[in-house]
Parts: sequence; structure tokens; C-alpha cells
Amino acid sequence: MDNLVTPGSWVVLRLPSDQTKVLQIAKTNTISLGKIGTFASNRLLFRPYNLTYELLDRKGGDKDSDLRIVPASELHEDILVEEAAALLPENAGPSEIVAGDGVEFQLLGENGEVIMRSNRETIDDSARQTLTMEEIETLKKEGTSAGKDLIAKLMLSHTGLEEKTSFSLAKYKLLKTKKYLKRFTVLPLDVAMLTQRMVEQKDASKVLEIREEMLSLIGSWSNIHFSADPIPKARSGRWLVVDETGGLLVAAMAERMGILHQGYTPPEPKRSPQEEAGEELKDLKIFKELDDDINHTTDIQLATSNTLTMVHTNAQPNLSLLSYFNYHPNSPTDRSSREHPLAQRLHTLSWLQLVSPSQDTTYANPPSPLTSEELQSMKSGKRGTYYRKQRRYRKIKQIVDTTHAGGFDGLAVAASMDPISILRHLVPLLRGGASIAVYSSTIESLVKLADLYSTSRRTAFIQSPPAELQGLSSEETARWQGNEDFPLNPTLLLNVSVQSARVNEWQVLPGRTHPLMTARGGAEGYLLTGVRVFPAEGKVEARGKFLKRKGGREYSCWTTDSGAEGQEREVAYEME
Amino acid sequence: MTTMTSPFLFPDTVAQADKLAIVHLRRDLQIPTILKEHDEDDEGYAEGKVVNTRFGSFPHKTLIGKSWGSQILASKVDTGSRGRRDQKSAKKQKKDNAEGPGNKRQQYEESTSETPRKKLRAEDGTPVEVAIDDTSVAKEESDAVAAQSGFVHLLAPTPENWTSSLPHRTQVVYTPDYSYVLHRLKVRPGAQIIEVGAGSGSFTHASARAVFHGYPGSEEVNGSATKRRKLGKVWSYEFHEQRHEKLQKEIEEHGLDGIVEITHRDVCENGFLVNGESPEAEAIFLDLPAPWLALPHLVRSKAAPFVSPLNPSATVHLCTFSPCIEQVQKTMSVMRQLGWVDIEMVAIAHKRFEIRRERIGIDNGSQRGLQSTPASVDEALQRLLEVEGNFKVFHENGTKVPKQKDNTNPNNRAKIIENLVEKKVYKEGKLVHRTEPEVKNHTSYLTFAILPQEWTAEDEARVCAELPIVARKGDCEVAMSSRAMRKAAAKAVREKAEAAKSRRAVAQPVISNDDTKGSKTQQRT
Repeated sequence: MDNLVTPGSWVVLRLPSDQTKVLQIAKTNTISLGKIGTFASNRLLFRPYNLTYELLDRKGGDKDSDLRIVPASELHEDILVEEAAALLPENAGPSEIVAGDGVEFQLLGENGEVIMRSNRETIDDSARQTLTMEEIETLKKEGTSAGKDLIAKLMLSHTGLEEKTSFSLAKYKLLKTKKYLKRFTVLPLDVAMLTQRMVEQKDASKVLEIREEMLSLIGSWSNIHFSADPIPKARSGRWLVVDETGGLLVAAMAERMGILHQGYTPPEPKRSPQEEAGEELKDLKIFKELDDDINHTTDIQLATSNTLTMVHTNAQPNLSLLSYFNYHPNSPTDRSSREHPLAQRLHTLSWLQLVSPSQDTTYANPPSPLTSEELQSMKSGKRGTYYRKQRRYRKIKQIVDTTHAGGFDGLAVAASMDPISILRHLVPLLRGGASIAVYSSTIESLVKLADLYSTSRRTAFIQSPPAELQGLSSEETARWQGNEDFPLNPTLLLNVSVQSARVNEWQVLPGRTHPLMTARGGAEGYLLTGVRVFPAEGKVEARGKFLKRKGGREYSCWTTDSGAEGQEREVAYEME
Repeated sequence: MTTMTSPFLFPDTVAQADKLAIVHLRRDLQIPTILKEHDEDDEGYAEGKVVNTRFGSFPHKTLIGKSWGSQILASKVDTGSRGRRDQKSAKKQKKDNAEGPGNKRQQYEESTSETPRKKLRAEDGTPVEVAIDDTSVAKEESDAVAAQSGFVHLLAPTPENWTSSLPHRTQVVYTPDYSYVLHRLKVRPGAQIIEVGAGSGSFTHASARAVFHGYPGSEEVNGSATKRRKLGKVWSYEFHEQRHEKLQKEIEEHGLDGIVEITHRDVCENGFLVNGESPEAEAIFLDLPAPWLALPHLVRSKAAPFVSPLNPSATVHLCTFSPCIEQVQKTMSVMRQLGWVDIEMVAIAHKRFEIRRERIGIDNGSQRGLQSTPASVDEALQRLLEVEGNFKVFHENGTKVPKQKDNTNPNNRAKIIENLVEKKVYKEGKLVHRTEPEVKNHTSYLTFAILPQEWTAEDEARVCAELPIVARKGDCEVAMSSRAMRKAAAKAVREKAEAAKSRRAVAQPVISNDDTKGSKTQQRT
């Protein structure tokens, strides 16, 4: 990821109100922040991220505002002043606390002056601002010193200001600052930012209300990391993903693998959709791309290590959020997408291609090869189509075949589909010791799934394996599709457990530290984790805490429930 | 090549000798062990190196070469007779164990199993003085014989199972915390991260996985030497000498040297430079009692002899990990003074859930996991009527209704298996979930902050010269109502469409990267 804002990259502008604006920045352009104003994009380009800018008053005749970088000392001005004041000797500390009614109190200094006012006398009335709407509007239009003047005037014109406690005063100022201050901060658009934005400002249900802390937990528990094998051609570092969050999970995993943003400069942004209206224009473009195709008769070399294999529900994968990282998987002719690291390392196949490839048209019907004479006689357009079909077939064949070969290092799932059906097909494809992480916005589906791996169910399975498993090899047993009692083979996963995490934000200010008063509700978000294991063949009996009871007979403790308590006690089982 | 790779990063498909493996007994009981072909420490088992657990003994030779995830059956190991060696040498060895920092692994193996030596003493009461030639016991290693019961699972190490199995030296940074921290610090492959207060090493291992972008010197072998990747590194500091030594040894044993560099240092006093070299870090994690004392060393530029440990051309992300609110307040105050921005404090609440079947009812006899109370009003009524009936019989006939009591223990093995296999009790009852009995209510407060790249007036002037700003002239309403904005937006779209039309009429469509077409307003959000 670039450390400077470069043309073509997506950036986030955060306003004092914590609202964000996402845009793809281009050279010599104008960026509008609505009522706050407009400025030239060149003002931001090739400057570092995370700087806060202030819109200066427009010079006469100029349409756009100039920008000024706000130093950190100015951002923290209020608090720094407050802290410095607290250190001064005359304010060394209140000598007395005069209790009022209930929680209201006044703090008196040594000389009896009021340090902290109580809120007994304040009048709960919003109409104590003497500035009228019209006056505020005029002040806004005059728009001097980035709204600071306006805020100062508002504060001064508030009749009840001296009655306010320092708490409400700070609150009042913050409120007005958020509303009128003409500042913004430039942030890079990465997975963290995108997640925050999707959950807080866009449609959270589109990403299954997945919060940052859960996304990072999925990454940890599926053990996804950069893993390009030092030994060439070895297959390692391959992960399976089921993503119904529009590509957010894939992006998060790719970021961990170092294949989401990689020292790669995208071209200038394409024209906006409105501009592509003209039909002739479009045709011309397609022709040009076809020509490109003919030049590109070589396939994209699919990587064998450090890869993500995504199984998707529709004919085409929904990875729309990857466009923020300049990757458009569904338009393979897009040059920037071809050169993107994901082009080699993100392999996608549909459930049909995974479960029943013979019924998939692309996989089952390889395009018949043509001789060079036949090709020569074709029109260039047709020839391009022929090559494209060939390439598409070779690509999907390679992906399907390598996926069926199995040996994946982990599985990450964030889907609204029934996780039982997902695991039925994907667990057999994992290598021993592979980590599994299944996210769900609600716990019910995970509870059902965990129950299928309960200790008692596994014991029953080992005690009397279903009749149809007689004489099957362990490989075939792993791929068994399950029956009514055992929808999944319960011996394939170990350590199945469900967890949840939640981040609580705090306000930390001198003398005013507490958790934030409000937070987002909605789906809590749960994660089921487990490890793929191979059951031993033959007689297996556990050793554990043997309890001596009356008569000195030894028998082992048995458990009929799963979870912690179940694992506390030891299970003994034997295979006939 | 294989000898240098870490099982954390490239686990391979089978367990290999001289590498770390996790012996899994239960979810919260996992034993890390370095697999050895031979008993180099001379512990005296006939089968060579052995892991002793409460579920049996597992000679390393039964583990090496097995697929990860395999269920391993216990072996018959004579854990008693080896204690009858020369007491002097045994004592000496014990002393070595206590002193040598390297025998940590053995210590935690023993902590989970009863040591054979102790057992022997307990049996005999007094130390046994039997002289057996030391070498004859140690050198001949016999084959392992399968025991009747007991098993474990063999797992490849991951930062997660390492975190739950590592030898605790200090408070551990657990998975929910380190996952979120690494995510917020934007630690990606190739990053340089400073970690202060390495402690038990859980965060060290997790961040090594996050920054890993190839081993030093591996780029050439890779074939794609043309694309030089930036290799990631964890710059770890620990001021406690023993902890530092132990961690250093662990890092070597785990094949992570080159990715993790551990320095024995009090950073509050002596800063962050390692042999005069700056880590050039873009991520910092401070897990120490007084993070505000370390902050003054983490600044961009200062007077001449000072070399900043930060990457000069990147935004630096910082996280401090403090259990007390007072620490947070002090830290934040210093952060503000030193120019950090976006300062934010959060706490993570993490819960694990217990999922079980709740079986309530009276007709099933007493069984484990069954609450023997009526499941419904109907069942209660039925029972009451039964009791009433018995009373009636007693009053009318004067005889007690004989109780049909089943004297066999309902919890015996055959009964339980019958319940499972025939009655399918695993499907009975209500499927419920609840928080596990023990909750980590508070780990620490996480304070995050950002230090943007330094941007001087000269930098600004340079970029301004390279990329001049074309001022748009004309009067434009800036502050407007939302209605006015909608109007203006509609107008802009109309204008754009017209402009496009006229352009199309005049010129050929151009698909190139030139700057002339960039004059349109970006309205995308």
C-alpha cells in the first residue's frame, strides 16, 4: 500500500461529524464536501495519509478553497489547555464538596469561588441561543476561519453559557464543532476502513453485519498468512473461502496474505458510467479490448501457493467490494485487474463446479481445438472469442482439479447459507490440522452445527458407525455425505467451539472518562472454530479420570453433552 | 531449506523431527513439544524421548512422520524403572533442568504429568540407592508398544494453540486482543513492528505470522527474484533477562529467527535502536507498565544524535496495552503532547459459549445430563395422579405399591453406550447455548494512536511545484441548503452530458491516461 495519496487510489475523507466520504482520487480534479466547500484534488495528491486539513476562506474570485494542514497541537488544543490549567497551583484542587440534591454538587475552590457548577440552576430549554437562524446562515456564508468564528459567536451568544457545568460546556462546544468546523482528515481505504464504513454507514446486512473484531478473529482462527513456499512448485498456503459479504472477507484474507495491495499503481480511473453512455463509444472500446485479447493468448498463470480458493453461489462470484482495491474479477479484460496480484492468487469456482463438475457447461464441454488454418480463416473477432473460450476452459479446469485434490490449509466462512451444508463439502478437502472458522451473524446456525460435533454424538458414531460406512476406506469415510443421525461425520473436527468478541469504545478526557454512552446494536456476530483431524483406525479407548465408587469398581466418566463441561470429563470409546 | 522453515508458517503435511508440535489432550490442555528422534537429554526411557500426559505416554517416535491432525494411541512406557538410576546423576540432571533456560519444554511436560521419580519416592518412602550403569539404559532405544487405552491428537503449531499452551511467564495477550490489535495496527506482510514487553511470547508469535513475507535470503531461491519484496520483521524488546533468554531460545527452536529479533533492553531508558540500526517501524505495540516513559523515544525528528526508530515515510500506528485506567489517562496525555492523533481507547469483551442439550423429564430414569423434574404441566399432573393412586391403594388395602427400582447403576458403561447408540440421547432435549462458566472480564485497555508522516513546508512546496493547482475562477455558492445542492448537482450532470456530447461530436474517443479529461467533478461516494 502506498504511503502517499496517489492518483487512482480510493481515499476516505472523514469530516468532524465522523461522516465519511469515499472517492477515487484523480489528478486535476475538484473534490466537493457539500456545504463545507470544494477544493482541488491536487491539494491532496502525493501528500501523506492521516493528515487533517482545514478549508481556508476562498480568495476573491476563486471557486475552490485552499487547504491548510492542521497540526496535531491544534487538534488537541482544548484538552491540552485544560490539562495545563489543571496543573497550575491556584487550581490545585477543590477544598470542599458541597453536596446538593442527589448527584448534583458544586465544587468550591479555596477562596470559595465556584470551580465546578452544578446543574441545579440550568434551564432545560434549547431556545437559549440568541442568534437567529438567519444570522447563523449569514455567518455560515461568510464562512471565515473555517467555521471557528461561527462557533465562537455561537458560544458567546448563548445566554446560559455561564450557567453550564464544564461537562455540558464541553459537550456544547463539541456539538457545534462537529456541525460547523470545516475540517477533514484524509484516510486510506483499506479493509478496516471499508468494514467500518459498510457496518456504520452503508447497508450492514450486505456484509452480514461483520464487525472489525470478528473479521480479525476469523483471520486468526483460520490461520491465514503469507505463505508463498520457498520451495518452488510445492503446494502450500492454500485457503478455502466461502464469502457472502460481497468480497469483504476475501479482501480481509487477501490483506493478511499480502496480495490485496502490493506496490502496484493502478492507471487513472476510467470514465464514470454516465460518460460511457454513447453506444458507438462502447463498441469502439470493446473492439480495442478484443485486439488486446488476441495479443494476450497466454493464460494468467495461476499460482500454486499463497492462494485463496473461493466457492460461490451464483454463476459469477460477487466480489463487488474488491473494486475499491482496483480488482474487477468479472471483467477479465480489464488491464489493471490482470496485473493485480489477486489475478493469479484468487481462484473462484461455483458450488456446481465443485460438487458436480460434469453438470457444469464450462467444465464439461471443452471447446474443440481448431487447426491453425481454420484459425487463419476466421475473422479477428471470432478468433478472439475462440482464444478467450480456450483460456476460460483451461483456467476453470485447473481450478476445479486442484480444488478436488484437496489439501487446503484452512477454511474461512462468512455466509448466510446453512453452514452444515458448507462443511459437508469442504471439510474433506482440508489437510490434517487445518483450521476452520465459520462466522455467522446469529448464533442459532452455529449452535446446530456445533451440536453435530458434540462428544456424545461422536461417541455414538464411533460405537456403532452407520451401516453404509462398512468397508469404506478412511478417505471415503471422510467424504461420506451423512445421514439423518449424523448429518456430518463427527470425527473429522476437533475442538469445535463458539465464541464472540465485542469492542467497547471509551471516552478518555481529563476528569471525564467513561465508556461511550451509545453503541451500535444489531447482530452480535459469532464464530465457530475447529481443527480438521484424522481419527485413528482400529480400537481406540480413552484414558481419563477414573472414579472409584462403591465396591472399588472402576468405570470411566461419561458425558452426554458437548462444550467445556463435556471436555472436562474424559470420554472412553471403542471401535468394534 | 526445510530445516530453516518454521512449523508455524510452513507446517508441511506431517510432523517432523526437531520441530515444534502440539500434543492436544483437550481444548484447554495442549502440550507443546519439540519432536526428537533420540533422547538427547538422556531422560532414561527405553523408547527414547517420551511425552508423558495424564492420558498416557507417547514416545516421540510414534509422533514423528504422522500427519498433522492424526489421533495417536498411547504406548506402554515403563516410567518407573528409569528412576532407579544413579541418584547422583539424576539429582544433577534435575539441577541442570532448574538452572538451564533450555529445559523449559521438559518442565512443562512434567508439570502436566506425574514425574516418575516422585512416584518412586512415594512408593518407597526413602530415596532408592540402586546403582545402574547409566549408559546402558540411555543408549538402547526399543520400539514402542501400543497401550490399551489413551490417545492424543497431534497438531501443527499455530499462534492460537501456542497461546493456549505456552508456558506462562507473564500475563498473556490472548487471541481476541492480539487479533484486533494487529488488525488495527495494519500489520501486513512486510511490515516492521516494534513489540515492547515480549513476556510469554504470544503476541510475538502472532505478529511474526502477520509480518512474515519470506525468509531473509529466500527471495533468490524463489525464482521470482525480480520482484523484491520487503521482508517483515518483529522487533521485540524485553527488559527481564530470564524471560528474554527463554524467548530467544523459543524463537530459535520455532524457526522464527530472522523474522523476530529480540533485544534485552529497557526501552524507557535506552530507546529502540538495535546495534545503532533503526527498526524503521510502522507499527508499535507497548505492553509495559509505564508506556508514557517509552513514548518520548518514539518521535519523528529531534536533535542530531537522535535517530528515530520510526519509518520516516509511513504513517505509524501505535497501541498500548494497559490494565488500569490511570495508565491510559497518563499515556493519552503524553500522546497528545507528542503529536499523536486519532487517539482512541477500547476494551474487548470476549466470550466463549457452551453448547449443550438440556434434557428435562422424569421418565428417563436418572441419567447423566438429565434434570429429573417434570418437563411440562402434563407430566407433573401424571406424576401427581400416580402418587394419588398409590395413596388410594394404601388406604384401601393397607399395602404399599412396590417401587419398581432399578438397582443397576445408570451411569455404567454399557448403559451409557446403550443410551447413546439405541436411544440416541445425543438428539434428545433442547439445544441451548450459554456463556462458559469462566469469563475473562477484563484483559487490558487498548489505546490506539496514529502518527502521520512528517510533512514539512519544503515537501509541500516541492509537490506544489510538481503538481500545480489550477484555480477555478468564478463565483460559486459554497454554503447552500440541501435543496440548492440537489439543484446544483442536477445542473452539473446536465452540463456534463452536454460536454460529453459535444466532445464526442468533435473528437475521437480517447482511452488513455492523459490529464485533460480530469476536469469533471467527482461525485462518487
